[in-house]
Parts: sequence; structure tokens; C-alpha cells
Amino acid sequence: MSLRTHVSTLRRQSLMPLLVLLQVTLACAILCNVMFLTWQQLEPMLAPSGVDTSNLILVDQLNASTGQWTAVEVQAGALALREVPGVRAVSAAHSLPMVFGTTYAFGMQGPSRVKVGVNVYAGEGLMKTLGIPLVAGRDFQPDEYRGPGGYKGAPMPVIITQALARKLFGNVDALGQRVADPGDPAGVGYQVVGIVRHLLRNQFSMATQGRADDSTLMPQRVGDTPMPVYYAVRVDPAMREVALRGVRKAIQRQFGARLTAGAKAQVSFYDTRSSVAFKSRRATLELFAGVALTVVIVTVIGIMGLTGFWVQKRTRQIGIRRALGARRSDILRYFLAENALIVGVGVALGMALAYFGNAWLMRYYELPHLPWTWLPLGAALMLLLGQLAVLGPALRAAAVPPVVATRSV
Amino acid sequence: MLRYSFELAVHGLRRFPKSTVLVVLTAALGLAACMTTLTLLHVLSADPLPGRSQHMYLAWVDTVLAKPSDSEDMALNGFKNKNYHRIKLADAQALLAARRAVRQTVVVDMAADEVSGDGKHTQSQQFILATTSDFIPMFGVSLRYGRDWTLAEDAARTPVAVIDTDLAQKLFGTANAVGRSVRLKNTLFRVVGVIQPFVTQPRFYTLSVGAYSGDGGENLYLPYTAALDAGLAPYGTDDCDASYKGSINTPIDPTRCASLGVWVQLDTPQQVSAYRSFLQNYAEQQTALAGFDKKPRSELIGVADWLKQNDVVPDSARLNVWLAGSFLLLCMVNVAGLLSARFLRRSGEVGIRRALGAPRHALFLQHVLESGLVCLVGGVFALPLTMLGLWILRQQNNGFSGLAQLDPAMFGALFALALATGALVGLLPAWRVARVDPGLCIKSE
Repeated sequence: MSLRTHVSTLRRQSLMPLLVLLQVTLACAILCNVMFLTWQQLEPMLAPSGVDTSNLILVDQLNASTGQWTAVEVQAGALALREVPGVRAVSAAHSLPMVFGTTYAFGMQGPSRVKVGVNVYAGEGLMKTLGIPLVAGRDFQPDEYRGPGGYKGAPMPVIITQALARKLFGNVDALGQRVADPGDPAGVGYQVVGIVRHLLRNQFSMATQGRADDSTLMPQRVGDTPMPVYYAVRVDPAMREVALRGVRKAIQRQFGARLTAGAKAQVSFYDTRSSVAFKSRRATLELFAGVALTVVIVTVIGIMGLTGFWVQKRTRQIGIRRALGARRSDILRYFLAENALIVGVGVALGMALAYFGNAWLMRYYELPHLPWTWLPLGAALMLLLGQLAVLGPALRAAAVPPVVATRSV
Repeated sequence: MLRYSFELAVHGLRRFPKSTVLVVLTAALGLAACMTTLTLLHVLSADPLPGRSQHMYLAWVDTVLAKPSDSEDMALNGFKNKNYHRIKLADAQALLAARRAVRQTVVVDMAADEVSGDGKHTQSQQFILATTSDFIPMFGVSLRYGRDWTLAEDAARTPVAVIDTDLAQKLFGTANAVGRSVRLKNTLFRVVGVIQPFVTQPRFYTLSVGAYSGDGGENLYLPYTAALDAGLAPYGTDDCDASYKGSINTPIDPTRCASLGVWVQLDTPQQVSAYRSFLQNYAEQQTALAGFDKKPRSELIGVADWLKQNDVVPDSARLNVWLAGSFLLLCMVNVAGLLSARFLRRSGEVGIRRALGAPRHALFLQHVLESGLVCLVGGVFALPLTMLGLWILRQQNNGFSGLAQLDPAMFGALFALALATGALVGLLPAWRVARVDPGLCIKSE
């Protein structure tokens, strides 16, 4: 059957195909947008943490009643934690993954003047305690850990992720290169000494659209500043629970008396925290998934109902075609092709509607831009759904016996 | 005639119960989705203080002795430099003392442990509102027991407080707590009045601590003068003087940090323009600013503009309405399609009725009624679905969805929407079926 036959049939009875077309257009536009919104919720959850998350305890909400902890207090705390049975490594830090009390937001500028906003994890010996594998370069050396302001006039060594290296330097090897501070482009900036594969930022609202890995490690002595202090503690897998209790006790012993009134230190495993942190995202995700599913069901029902009727109306014509020698497979193919034609046009309109609708809404509201890559995905899904919906009616049509042509219904 | 058409319509619906259920459910889904998102948007964008908010203005002058900060790091990481238009203590006091408005008050959120006078009960880390005697009359807060404090008590820095009934119950076991006292830090504040729990949605007067609060707002109100004397500090601040060396952990110093909001009540446009020029005049007298590349700046912003300027109604709520609206459209196209199929299946019967003399408009009416009925029944089913949708929204932990509740107005709107879509959706298929050519149909039967 040629395209012309299809088109002329559709033009003669245009109400049904028009309604299917309209449905497909709307459904495609909605689906593209909903899938994109869903993905934005999902992206930080699916992004690799880059950290060896099992057997990692994080300590936060150590609010000092004096407003800040001294370096001596911080070191004493680390020492006490190291003595807890089952503890393998301890790091003090001013910011940590999956800890949201402090978001260290920095800017970095590569040689091509591209600027990237990054989250920084700053502390002592974080590579080892967090269990982040190096891809290239080296870990920080002991003399590189300095207090705030310790790198006046000299570039601060940093360890960045592969994704960040690619953004800043393109295909050039980032190792050993200088990164500038966009606030002070002429200054000494930072020097890349190591590269890690992944490191999830702790500002999840920015961990979308390929920005999940925009994070950096910085060497920093902890304490003697008003910034909050955290601990990361790596424990023996066989002694998880014992170590957790031990760490809680040690923290209480070391800091309990000097916390602000009403404050309580939080000591828990990384995995516990991530499941709490993603809780509201999961709720949103379920909502969007429900919406997408409903859209799909409504569309499929609509297409099935309409095509079912339309096939039934043409029972006699099908019988005539069968009597004239058309095979069952010809009939089946005819209806599948007809559906593909209608849905194809609908999908093209739907993609345009999704794209321009998003662009139009973006003018009024602060919304993320719908990347065009989502459009073919939505389109493919709609085409597939269309074929599935028409399969039942088309099979029924193919089962029409040739003898129908001779009967007057 | 109408009755007969109606009977036929009902009869038509009952003839194919399976497809009727499908159509009704589709309509119900579309209506419920639309209603759910509209209800949330309606709640979020409602007037926070009807009858009063149009006379309230936030007064702001820029007197912070620091160069305007431009933090590229923050912008690169998607942080917006939020300025809640607060001012420093001396300026707030000057604006209050001038008494150029009908009423004027200072609002500062503070966080403190509230301890009952006998030390037996504690509510830790609660938000309290440090303000002036004008707050309660200006915001129309209703007193249950006792009185609000006076201008004289403001001036004398008297440690008095007004608490809400919830707090009274928690601290003293009785709603009437007048005469008791609450300890904040090391100062005893005498309770002079008890109010109904008060919070506006959004909490436009102290947006800095969250625009929407599901679990209520501040539960204790006290003179800001006495609060500062007691060593309480503002919970948050806008910019500080460059000479200020505080940090996140040190208490905010209101003399050098812009941390007090000043709200004034102005009843007429003349008062508004007079106050505006008074503010600008005040800003121009701040000669110390010249050293910091700053022009004299002042603003007087009404409540509606203030909410808009701060994007208080989340854009995601608006986006959801658009999505749900398109979904309703999709459902309606679907319903129109299913109804067309159903009506045209009856072409033969319609043809016979036409041949027997039924006029076109009678057939049109019957089919419009049938589709109207479908959507009305859909509207009935949409109600529990909307409740379900709102329940799902309330499970979303995003700070504002918890407020989603259906009110009678929205309930009525749901049915109006159902009827309107029903009639609209029915037009096309009904018109199509009324055009059936009697001769052709009978012949093909």
C-alpha cells in the first residue's frame, strides 16, 4: 500500500484520525516534559558517590558553645576516635559528602575561561578515610594541610574529578595545571595535583544536567575557625555496630559538655544519611512516575477505543480486500502503518509543542531548559505505545474473513 | 422535550456500561489532576492578610557601610543573593521614632529556648518574634486573654511577652497564662496577654525564616528592646558593615548588621507617596555611605509586590498547573474521541429517528446532554481523586505542599469545571452525529 492510499483514506474520514493526532500531540508534549522532570529528580540519586560508602560513619552537628573549636580540640577528638575499637581511619573536615550543614561553594575557571561552580570538601586525609580511588596524580602531602589563609601567594593544591577536569581543560591533561579563581582571575588560583573518577557534590539542587561530579577536594587543617567541624570515620566491616556505638560514646565524651544547649551530635552511617537525604526526592519521583503512567494509560485507551471503532466501521472494506486476494498480514500491516503515519505526525507536532512550550514557560518562570535530546525519546515512546494500542484492533481486522464482503451486514 | 432528551441520554449511557465507565474515569482523572494543582496554587497565592495587606508596606533604606558584594562563586553554584530588605538597629529606631506612618513596627525573628517561670517545662529552639507594641493591632492578631503591651513598655524596655494558646498549654497547662512568666536566656518575661496561634500564609513579614510554615510560626511575641537587653540576637541578617567581624557561629550584632524588618501601615496613596519621599530623604542624609560607592537607596514595597519580588509562590507549583491543564486537555480529547465513536456507532438508529421526523436540534441536545452527564459523573468521581491527589501532595516534603487543602470555593469550582468541559467536549461529537444523513444510514443497514 502506498502512502497516497493511506492519506486519501484518512482524508475521507478525518474526524477519528484527527482526534488520535491531537491526543498523540498532547501526550507527547506532556511525556517529554514529565520525563525530563523525573530525570532531574533521579539524576543526583543515580550519580555515583565516588566514595566507598559502606562502613563509613559521618559525625555532624557538633555545635561548640564557644562558637568555634580549637585545632587542639579537633585533634584530640580525632585521636579519641582512632582509639575506638573497629575504627580504621578518621578525618576531621569542614565539609563532607552527604553532610549538608556546610556547603562550600567555589568557582573555578579553566584556561578557556569556562567557569564552573563546584562544591569543595575540605579537611585532613579525606582521600583515605572516604576511600576515594585516584585515577591520576597523587594525594595531598602532610605539609600541604594548612589552616585558612595558609595559601596566600602560592597556589593551593586541589584534587578534582574527571568530569570537572574535562569541563575546565577539555582534552588537555589537567594534571599539574593551574585553575583560576573567577573572583580573582589574575591570582595564583589552584593547582591540580590529583584526579578522581567521581565525587558527588553535597548541593543536590545543582547535581543535575551533568553537574553531579563538579566537586573538589582541598587540603585543610581543621579547627580555630568559626566553621563547623565534622568527622568522617572508616570502620571495620565486621565491627560496624560496635564501632558505631564506640564512636557515639567517644564523641559524647570529647564534645558533649561543650556543645551548645539543646544541641546533639549526629553520628550515623553514610548509607543511612543518603536514604534520608533522598527521601523527599523519592516521593517526588513516585509522583512524577504516577503522572507519566497515567498519561500513558489514558493515551493507550484513547487510541484503542478510536481505532477499534474505526476498524469496525471498515469491516466490509476489509472483507472486500481479503476477497480480492489481500493476505491477513497485508491487513495487519495496513493498520499498523496507518497508525504509524498518524502517530508520526502527532509526535512531530508534539515534539515542537514540548520544546516551544518549555521555552515559552521559561520566559515567565525559573525553569530548567528542556534539552532537545529528550524529544526523540518521548517520540519513540509514543510511537511504540501507538503500535501497541493498535495491535488489538489490527489483529481483529486481520481476522475478518473474506466472506464478509458478500454479506450485506 | 428536554426531559425526553435527558431520558434518552441516560439510556444511552446505560447501554454500554463498560465504555461509560472508561469515559467517566478518564474525565475524572483529568479533572482531579487539574483540581489538585489548582488547589495548591490557590492556597499558595492567596492574600496572606485579607483586608489589611494592601495597606502594609516594607520600608527599607540601604545604610550598610560595605561595598556591594558580588559573589561569583555563589552565582556559579545557583545561590541567589537574597536580600530581605532588613535594616540596622539605629535606622529602624529612627524610622519608628519619626512616626510618619499610621502604624509602624519592627519585626525580627529570634530563636530561643522557652522555659516556664518555675523551670519545669521547656520548649527548645523556638522561633520568637521581637517586635513593637504596634504589631498586634496592625496585623489584627486576636487576643484571647489579657492585653498587648504598650508603647510605654516598649520605651521602658520592660520584659513582657505575649504568647499563643499552644505555648501557654505546653508551658503552663492552661490557655490563660496571663501573669505567669517565661524565661528566655536569663531574663524572666512576664506574660501580659495570650493570643490565638497566629501565622499568615505566606509569612510575608519574615520571609527569611521560610515563606510557608506547615507547623505554625512564632509562638511568643516580645518588645525587641527588651529582647536585645536579654542578650537575644537576630536569627538571620542581610549584609553587615565591612568593619563587622562576626561569623556564622557568633550572635548577629543588629547595630552593624541589617537584620530588622520595618513594616508600616499607610492607608491612602497620599500617605504612601509622603512616606516614600520621607524614606528617600532619610537615605540621602546618610553621608557615611559615600566612601562605599553607594548611592542613597530606599524602597517602600507593598505586600503583593514584596511576595512577587521574592518569588514566594514556587514556580514548580505554576508549572504543575500547566502540566495538569494539558493533561485535562488530553483527557478531554480522549473523552471526545470515545464519545464520537460511541455516538457514530448508533448512526443507523439516529438515521431512523431522523427519517421519522426527529429534528436535528433534538438529536444534538440528546448527545450534548449525554456527554454533559458523563463529565458531571466524572466530576463526582474526581472529588475523591482530588482528595487523594492532595494527600499525595502533602506527602511531598518541600515546605509548601503541606498546606494543600480543599476548600468549599475550590469544591464548587471543580463542578463548574466539570460541567463546562462536559458541554464543550460534547459539542463536536454531538454535532457530528446530528449531521448524519438519514437516507444513507438506513440504506446501509
